[in-house]
Amino acid sequence: MGEFDTQKGKYVTFQSGNEFYGLKIQYVSEIIVYQEITEIPESPEYVKGLINLRGKIIPVVDVRLRFRQEPIPYTDRTCIIVIQVNDYVVGLIVEKIAEVVEIQDENILPSPSIGKNDNSTKNKFVSGIGKVGDEVKLLLDPERLLRDEDVALMEHLNEEDSLEEE
Amino acid sequence: MAEEFNTGDMLSVYLFENQQLIENLQNIVMDQKDADGFDEDSINEIFRTMHTIKGSSGIMMFDEITKVAHRLEDIFFYLRESHPDGVPHQDLVAHVLDVADFISGEMDKLSDGGEADGDGSAILSELDTFLSEIKGEKPGTKKKEEPRETEEGPKQFYIAPETGNGSSYFKIYLTYNPDIEMASMHAYKTVFALKKIAEEVLYSPEDILTNPESSDLIVKEGFKIILRTTSGEEDIRQIVQPGYDLVKVEVYECTAKEFQMGFDAEGSEIMIDLESSVEDIERRSEQRAQGAKEEKKIAPGDFVVATKEPGKGKNLAKDRPKKTDKAAFISVDISKMDQLMDLIGELVISQSVVLQNPDLKVPGLNLDNFNKAAGQMKKISTDLQNVIMSMRMVPLTNTFQKMNRIVFDMSRKLGKDVAFEMIGDTTEVDKNIIENISDPLMHLVRNSMDHGIESNEERMAAGKKEKAKVTLTAKTESGKVFIIVSDNGKGLDREQIMAKARQQGLLEPGRAESSYSDKEIYQFITLPGFSTNKKVTEFSGRGVGMDVVVSNIQKVGGSLEIDSEPGKGSTMVLKIPLTLAIIDGIVMETGNSSFVMETSAVREFVHVTGDMMIHEPDGAESVMIRGECYPVLRLGEFYHIDDHQEDVEEGMMVIVEVDNKAICLFVDHLVGKQEIVVKPIPDYIKKVKGLSGCTQLGDGSIALIIDAAGLID
Repeated sequence: MGEFDTQKGKYVTFQSGNEFYGLKIQYVSEIIVYQEITEIPESPEYVKGLINLRGKIIPVVDVRLRFRQEPIPYTDRTCIIVIQVNDYVVGLIVEKIAEVVEIQDENILPSPSIGKNDNSTKNKFVSGIGKVGDEVKLLLDPERLLRDEDVALMEHLNEEDSLEEE
Repeated sequence: MAEEFNTGDMLSVYLFENQQLIENLQNIVMDQKDADGFDEDSINEIFRTMHTIKGSSGIMMFDEITKVAHRLEDIFFYLRESHPDGVPHQDLVAHVLDVADFISGEMDKLSDGGEADGDGSAILSELDTFLSEIKGEKPGTKKKEEPRETEEGPKQFYIAPETGNGSSYFKIYLTYNPDIEMASMHAYKTVFALKKIAEEVLYSPEDILTNPESSDLIVKEGFKIILRTTSGEEDIRQIVQPGYDLVKVEVYECTAKEFQMGFDAEGSEIMIDLESSVEDIERRSEQRAQGAKEEKKIAPGDFVVATKEPGKGKNLAKDRPKKTDKAAFISVDISKMDQLMDLIGELVISQSVVLQNPDLKVPGLNLDNFNKAAGQMKKISTDLQNVIMSMRMVPLTNTFQKMNRIVFDMSRKLGKDVAFEMIGDTTEVDKNIIENISDPLMHLVRNSMDHGIESNEERMAAGKKEKAKVTLTAKTESGKVFIIVSDNGKGLDREQIMAKARQQGLLEPGRAESSYSDKEIYQFITLPGFSTNKKVTEFSGRGVGMDVVVSNIQKVGGSLEIDSEPGKGSTMVLKIPLTLAIIDGIVMETGNSSFVMETSAVREFVHVTGDMMIHEPDGAESVMIRGECYPVLRLGEFYHIDDHQEDVEEGMMVIVEVDNKAICLFVDHLVGKQEIVVKPIPDYIKKVKGLSGCTQLGDGSIALIIDAAGLID
């Protein structure tokens, strides 16, 4: 429980576009610098491929592409956040790591419900909005981030199947 | 009742332990089958093995196994205690093997999720007869069976205490042999047996089933039972009999009051006894033992908990054979080993990154000390790699021993005098592979025994002086394990195989029969349904087999070669890879992606020219190579890879063949041949057609492994 306590309310934040996102620190196993990615054929665009994490081969997802934003070229600041959700170990490619912040529950607002159109794609993954000072962090639900992916992937494969059938 | 005990965990532990015991038993027996008799160590070892199996089977309620093991234990108990002369050793060996077979047969059923429902009565009566024989008794004086082995237990463990209706109360003190394992299980067995006659049973320590430390406690302090029963002391003694495991049994009648006080009452008494001198306790306990033997009643309140008997302990220690160089094992989660292997692989790669670091290339650096240290480090990491590889490896010894057993059995049953020789049985092979080659090997050995080796008379007639012999050889050569089954029998009959092949229409039409090489002809026997044996025997000859052998061997990436010299014998060479986790692969590139294909699936590489291509109207392509037409699959297009080679003359065609279907795979270029460690593609990535895994190349980058069969389908 001690570990839980020290990690409670802490979020790893990263920047993507103009927005800052937060991930509960419990999900994050490590952060590594960007490294060579091996592409996997026939995978959705946002699944960039596989990386070799000290002998363990894990898939990586480009967060920008996942949010259907324009991709930007990878730089020295590009990082991979390795998260573990349920049994999956997945790397998230992010533009820039910001910092680890503490956000108490009372400073977290539920994500705005039926919002404007440009928000709807992000809302899928955002579980709440955390206030830190006068900044706002969009808090991600990693399970949704990956689970929705499954559905998306299934759809993707189904499309492919139906194309093949034709 | 059985369901209450046969929980999956216990069953798997039971199976695992007993399987090892049985294997060990067979090894002992096979080692000494040709001797005049078992030596003392072996007798003790067999006795103990049977005892353990009996005990654990009893707990698991596998009655037939218990009975059979018990009976064999009786025989070895007699051998051990009485050292009788003139024991027919061959018969004894056969009996032990029968029992081992019976038990492993039952265990196979259990591990397949079945019931241990085999009938051991035939074996039991044989063993009885045998025991009577070696005891010099007339056959027929069978030991009476112990009722507790067959009786159904009562359906209830505890019955609420009632006030006296003529029942009496007993306190029982059990002292166990400190050498036995799982004293708690034995104790529980006793309690369970007592429940049949008892109205109420209390025992201490109470947590014998759940607390693993209770075993030690029981051995150290004894096991205490208080029970209320309508039966008499005689009945209790009938159930709780001293033996090898149970050193001492003390039964005292007590009052209802004492019973209700339970174990608290005697606490004080033990305290008193602990205060008296050791000699005193010993003397008293000896008296008690004496008294117990004479079945004399001892007044309540006068009891003592005999903690140890020094004299007895010494005797046992002498009885126990020196522990031979038996290896100690721990079972390790395979995923941990994989992880370790990953890390070591990574270590080797990062080591080369350090040692070949461009920073070191600065001119004028004095690197002598660095190079020395680097050399040392390389040595250690190589050792480390070898160790982890060897952890997955198991020697073939046990597998070979099984074959020894088969030769022994068959030579007796077929009346052929055959020697068996093992060479290189310590050769180590990946565990998965051993599981897959055990059956094929058995089949080959049976074939050699049945068809290869002639009967004694035939050998005489053929003027063969040397003893018939089956040789099993194992050796490692160029990353493969060769297992060779050879015999000095009559060899394969070329004409007979040819005739059979002709009859079954296996010969290629229009090809001269004389043009078939010996090897080609011998390959016929690996086809389904092919048997030249005229009669079907117990062991072989049904024509099912060689094809299964071959397909099993192929499953682990191996091959079978048959060679034979008429009149001199035949040789079967099994070539199998050392491990399944590492495959030999061809690395190729398309665009920026690396792919690996298993070498065995690749037939050849061809540079083709544009005029060899055939373009069909629907876009499908084929290529004509030496008069044969192959469909072309462009890997780059198939997987939509950017920047791949379009021009067939610039790239490379790889002819891939699986199950006689061949296609041409077009890739940009070849990188080389390499041994690769197969890793699964992470679950998160959905299955991609034609990919079976991924691997890490020498530079740390990742290549995808192409599954040739998946690609062709």
